Amino acid sequence: MLRIPWKRKQGSKSYAYLCARVRAMKSKLLPKEDYPRLMNMEVAEITRFIEDSEYKADVDELAQKYDGANLTEHALNQNLALTYRKLLNISAGEAHSMISSYFMRWDIWNIKTILRGKRFGASDDEILESVVSAGQFGYHDLITLVQKDTPEIVGILEQNYPLTDYSEDRLDHFENVLDKFYYEELTGIEAVRNPKSKSHRLFSEMIRTEIDIINLKTLFRSAKAGISREQIIGMLIPGGLKLNMITLKKLAGIPFGEFVTSLKDYSYWEPISGIATEDMESLIRVEIGLDKYGLEYATQTSHYYPLSIVPIMDYILCKKNEVDNIRMIVRGKEVGLPDDVIRSKLVL
Amino acid sequence: MTIPVDIAQTTVEQLAANQAGLIAIGAGLAVGLAGLGSGLAEKDIGSAAVGAFTEKEELFGKGLIMTVIPETIVIFGFVIAIMLLM
Repeated sequence: MLRIPWKRKQGSKSYAYLCARVRAMKSKLLPKEDYPRLMNMEVAEITRFIEDSEYKADVDELAQKYDGANLTEHALNQNLALTYRKLLNISAGEAHSMISSYFMRWDIWNIKTILRGKRFGASDDEILESVVSAGQFGYHDLITLVQKDTPEIVGILEQNYPLTDYSEDRLDHFENVLDKFYYEELTGIEAVRNPKSKSHRLFSEMIRTEIDIINLKTLFRSAKAGISREQIIGMLIPGGLKLNMITLKKLAGIPFGEFVTSLKDYSYWEPISGIATEDMESLIRVEIGLDKYGLEYATQTSHYYPLSIVPIMDYILCKKNEVDNIRMIVRGKEVGLPDDVIRSKLVL
Repeated sequence: MTIPVDIAQTTVEQLAANQAGLIAIGAGLAVGLAGLGSGLAEKDIGSAAVGAFTEKEELFGKGLIMTVIPETIVIFGFVIAIMLLM
């Protein structure tokens, strides 16, 4: 076949359209200044507020079925799934393959939700309300899955997911296995394992930074809980950017105070230096600090590389963060948590 | 030095005609290459503008202005072409 050497692959490296569109989408996210206003509202007012924004269609559609905090939560979930699906639809080539690999996290999320729902006897409708069809499973695939029994579901899924010898009594173990499997798959793809283009390199760095943050959170929690070194090492995810397995193994299993002191030698100390202390009680602020660092890292990198995968990843993270924040405010208001407690849990 | 027979035999009119032809080619290259340069610049700006105003219609005007800015390169080429032809 005749090959034209100068012919460009369609959509392979053309980030101009996608990045400009995604930036326009990002400009529609709620600004930071709106969160204090949301904190002063009741649940019904928050629902009305988000109805005036990008969530209008979702709130209108679900208003007949749900009310109160449930309405807001389902509208947020539906909007998140539609937004992510839209990103898959408008992207092509290299960007599409990286985004779809990243969105495999929602497949794992959905599998965990379905198995957990089945384990605790939730109805099919209840399970379907909690799934987010943003990955490879479309909503109809999920409906088909949910209608089956656990052994049938496991039978279908175990070809592609590590669910061999699944037993409902060890659900937490399999949830960990699935999470680890996701990151192993993600770090195993060519773009992350052996990045050749600029976008692949940036994508690889973002994924590996995310793994570092997850590992750090695991280390913080396990150091606080005093879990044994072997157990901690089993939970760590290999493939981090600045914290490789040798470093992580060094940090695993040491007492909390010593662990916090040793962290001062690593670059991740900076975002949590003002928060983490040897005798701290709660880890919430540290975890929020690390999440914030992940978001800031994506935003800053997206300014350095405006025509690459990073602005898209930045939007994906910011959208998820917005949905999480609104959900936290609504659920917090619903159960009557004090405003300062809710505020302390927001990642802004 | 020997002058090739065909050049030695060309008339002044023929030389003038050759010069006019070369000037026309130069003018054509000035506009054509400048056009290609503009096209390359406009390709990404145009697709970015379409992406932006698909999400926010109010960006249509700004996008249009940004897209036509590289047209100035063609104007430079066009001016050079006119200067050559005058």
